[in-house]
Amino acid sequence: MNILMLSCKKASELIEKKSIVQLSRIETIQLHVHKSMCDACNTYEKHSLLIDEVIQQKISNESEKNIPHLRNEPLKQKIKNDL
Amino acid sequence: MEALNPSNTIKKWVTLYSDKMYSLAFYRTNNKEVAEDLVQDTFITAFQSFEKFKGNIEQPSAWLFTILKNKIADYYRKIYRSPFEKAMNLQKDDNDTLSQYFNKDDEWLGDSLPKDWAIESGHLLDNYDFIDVLNSCMEKLPEKWNAALQLKFIGEKKGNLICQELQITPTNFWQILHRAKLQLRSCLEHNWFKK
Repeated sequence: MNILMLSCKKASELIEKKSIVQLSRIETIQLHVHKSMCDACNTYEKHSLLIDEVIQQKISNESEKNIPHLRNEPLKQKIKNDL
Repeated sequence: MEALNPSNTIKKWVTLYSDKMYSLAFYRTNNKEVAEDLVQDTFITAFQSFEKFKGNIEQPSAWLFTILKNKIADYYRKIYRSPFEKAMNLQKDDNDTLSQYFNKDDEWLGDSLPKDWAIESGHLLDNYDFIDVLNSCMEKLPEKWNAALQLKFIGEKKGNLICQELQITPTNFWQILHRAKLQLRSCLEHNWFKK
């Protein structure tokens, strides 16, 4: 049945979409069927989730406590002068 | 009780907190001029909103950093909402991007076929070399795509809320994220996981 046969391109699209919004029921089934037959897209999904996790951590880590301290004296002077 | 002089108080805060704020802004945007503007804008907002500050003037850090982070998010929102012409170019490039990774049957192109990385995320971020590679791969993304990624991970908002704020359709948002992710994955595979 063609309605269930996603291409890898479409499957990778749905994998990304799924990380943001809930897939429709049809999309969920389509993706499930495709993944049951396609190693490459399973691997893609693992990579995609890993990248998401790493970027999320990276952005959360870049809080005021964890990043190296840069100095910018000219900036301080400029801001104080302009205030 | 001494009367609060906003200007003097803020100047004191500049001395105490500007470096830390600049550090954060720089690491989040990778651009010195942008980071400086963001920090300056934050202090201007703090000055203008001074009477709204209800905290302890010896501990304004959380308030200042909240303002700064909102400005960083605004910066990425502005990039994302690029002018119409840029959006048109993106449409044209879209198919070029996808045709790099998929053949005419929409299957993975030989070289682009995802290969096993055999790795867990756990220790990756402890490795500064990996962080460098990740940063450089993200910098290679078109500005708008990188902005979309940043917006996805800033704050804990769900996709729908992000799209409402940006006044874009969710479809547009995840289509751009899709392209960004394809390029990012490929870049990381070539420069880290398969080296």
